[in-house]
Amino acid sequence: MTGPEPGEPAEPAKPAKPAAPALALEGIDKAFDGIAALTGADLAVHWGEVHGLLGENGAGKSTLMNIVCGLYSADAGKVSLDGREVRVRGPADATRRGIGMVHQHFKLVAPFTVAENVLLACGAALPSRTVAAAGEAIAAAAAELGFAVDAHANVAALSVAEQQRVEILKLVILGADILVLDEPTSVLTDDEADAVLRLLRRMADAGKAVVLITHRLREVIDHADRVTVMRGGRTVAAGAAAAGLDADALARLMVGETIGQPYPPRQAEDGNQEPRLEIAGLSVHRADGGVAVDDVSLAVHGGEIVGIAGVGGNGQTELTEALYGLLKPSGGTVRIDGRDASALAVAGRRRGGLRLIPADRYAYALLPDLLAYENLAISGVPLGRFGSRWWLDRPMMRRRAREAFADNQIVGGRPETRTRLFSGGNAQKLLLARELAEDPAVLVAHSPTRGLDVRACQAVHETVVRAVEAGAACLLISEDLDEVLRLSTRIGVMSRGRIEGPFPAREIARAEIGALMAGHA
Amino acid sequence: MHSWSLLPRQDVPAWLRVASLAGGIGLGLALGVVILLASGVGLGAIVQEFVLYSFTSSQGLAQTVTGAIPLLLVGLASAVSLKLRFWNIGIDGQVWLGAIAATGVAIADIGPAETRLWLMAAAAALAGAVWIGVPMFLRLRLAVNEVIATLMLTYVAFLLVQHLLYGDWRGSGIGFPVSEAFDEEGERLARLGWGHVHGGLWLSLAVAVGVAYLMQATRFGFYLTAVGENPRGALAAGLPVTFTLIVAVLLAGGLCGLAGFSIVAGQEYRLTQYIAHGYTFSAILVAFLARFNPLAVIPVTVAVAGLFTAGDTLKTFYQLPQATILIVESVILFAVVTVDFLARYRIVRRHGPAAESPAP
Repeated sequence: MTGPEPGEPAEPAKPAKPAAPALALEGIDKAFDGIAALTGADLAVHWGEVHGLLGENGAGKSTLMNIVCGLYSADAGKVSLDGREVRVRGPADATRRGIGMVHQHFKLVAPFTVAENVLLACGAALPSRTVAAAGEAIAAAAAELGFAVDAHANVAALSVAEQQRVEILKLVILGADILVLDEPTSVLTDDEADAVLRLLRRMADAGKAVVLITHRLREVIDHADRVTVMRGGRTVAAGAAAAGLDADALARLMVGETIGQPYPPRQAEDGNQEPRLEIAGLSVHRADGGVAVDDVSLAVHGGEIVGIAGVGGNGQTELTEALYGLLKPSGGTVRIDGRDASALAVAGRRRGGLRLIPADRYAYALLPDLLAYENLAISGVPLGRFGSRWWLDRPMMRRRAREAFADNQIVGGRPETRTRLFSGGNAQKLLLARELAEDPAVLVAHSPTRGLDVRACQAVHETVVRAVEAGAACLLISEDLDEVLRLSTRIGVMSRGRIEGPFPAREIARAEIGALMAGHA
Repeated sequence: MHSWSLLPRQDVPAWLRVASLAGGIGLGLALGVVILLASGVGLGAIVQEFVLYSFTSSQGLAQTVTGAIPLLLVGLASAVSLKLRFWNIGIDGQVWLGAIAATGVAIADIGPAETRLWLMAAAAALAGAVWIGVPMFLRLRLAVNEVIATLMLTYVAFLLVQHLLYGDWRGSGIGFPVSEAFDEEGERLARLGWGHVHGGLWLSLAVAVGVAYLMQATRFGFYLTAVGENPRGALAAGLPVTFTLIVAVLLAGGLCGLAGFSIVAGQEYRLTQYIAHGYTFSAILVAFLARFNPLAVIPVTVAVAGLFTAGDTLKTFYQLPQATILIVESVILFAVVTVDFLARYRIVRRHGPAAESPAP
């Protein structure tokens, strides 16, 4: 290798010759403890364009962008800015070189005001390190971008869309020319998403280079100039013009093969039977006194999936926790198979046949450092399924686990493997195998496929539909509208703690749901 | 150009865990020897006191085993509560309460003489459980941090001992603040005829086997592992989380109380001001070295007790302060924890990316 570190230019890269791409990555390799995340990945983004970076979960999009931002260092390959090869040494170095990223989880300090957050993140770029200077910079940048922000508002009081605008403001104030946005629309309503995509377009028109990471095909086709598709850590399509691209073709590139569409469960016989899950007047108050769930009433029958669509943060988590017995509601009743479960804790509700598939499986359902067979058995242990109180039958736990692994095509480890070593999809299959093992009465699924790739989603959907066809009642609370539309027999919309509907799935159009989600129906 | 970096391992194989533990203890002992050498103890003396006297001579070994009896009980208590991530920093306080309760039963001659030892043990276990029950209740009801509550109650316990010894329980005609001696019949654990080793040995070994069975083989032991791992996940799986916490923490307090009983009934035969100092740290050391595995607690306890035996001798013959012995102990724990880092991370040397060559 070469000698000492060459003196690299400290100046941010500026367009020297128009032909050179703003950002070029060539043959990037990156492995984590021997597991390859990127293999020869390429990407070229030009000045003045919105470049869509498309791929399934785990395709390597975020890893690639984290290399650009200096959070990871590449094992091999070249990173060039404006035609000049560089090595980004860290996030501060990336900022100095004019690269800015809006992460999926915002990096804002909640109890601070907008101005204080800007001061914290961009102090060096301000004429003086004062709140007043930050306020002026915010006003100037907001005017440039064409929206208004209250610099003295508390970040905690802002909506998700407003917080995102603050993140973008920070990048503009820092003087970023290359902007990377990781799934910027995933938490927004359709209208808000349109607004941010239009904003990105304006920034590109002003000469900046914008990378839009997403898994939404429509966004890329409608709003990007060119698109790069990644799959399994490799670039499978580099810089194709987005206009006129075929959504099906893009999806095939992303997934690698066509995957059959899932289906709602076959409708059970008409509604004479008693509902298996009955919620009446359920309300949950937050610690600060605000209403998280506002007088929700619902009934779900065996053999049907009632989907609850909505943008995250509108009370879905509280509703799920209250149904499952993890959170004490301020009012209302929950009945499972006709029996009042309102006073029961989790264990009692599970005995009544209630099961949960949460979005955050390691917070609610699986214990990451237990072995897989232990996690499969854990909820059966208090019910006496595995030996007596004084003798735990571990051989039986292992035997059952081996059967579950075979039945559910769980791969990537053995029953004796530590649970956190399984991929997201296989961990979720593990959870499903446990939760659906004993013909549940009621299944509450809260964004059950969040963070999973298309194939794992498919497996989860099929398993849920099978359980419902076997007689379970399923309440599907999901922030993924496509998932709700695909699986539900009836659809409700949750907004600010209230639920509209549910309406029969074939009687409600996507646009109507979108309007309800945004809270202006 | 080469650079070094740390990568978290996806999984740590069993042999590496064992190797890291052995390596950590080895490194800690080596550093401990350096500290003792710097304190003016000759190398030959260290080998003599540490290895030969503490572990091989009958007299030294008897002293080690005697010291191991209460240490085993508090080590098990610490393993149970740390497994649950309940940070009991007040083990000394619970040992004190056990000693007080056992003494109370003995000097008030409660119950028939034939069963009085059992009554003393039961009272001690109960008192230890009550003393840890207070911080547990505060944590469950009011979310009070148990680190502070258990620690502070240790001082309360010691003040209570002083109150009793300078007050009602002071033995008549004795100038020192100590209680009456226990009756020779029925209030003392029998000597086994080997140094000061007493019948508490069988008690603590039986308790160790019982705790090991409870933690490894029963349903409750499985709850204990799961709740310690992630209480919320355990709750969501339908496990009785609060029940598990209450039972395990009370058990830990009870074991500490028993340790207090074994000291007053087996060694001192009276309540003094020198029953329980420094057990908290030693118990945590034992529990960590044994990785909270109750069976591993037994050999680790013997090793740590041997360290104490050696420390006592060094204190006597070389005028080393107690602090030096504590420093050696801490250095060993520190080394084990540090070396464990190497088991969890992989150190790799790699070539810098090609992009380091100068731009044309």
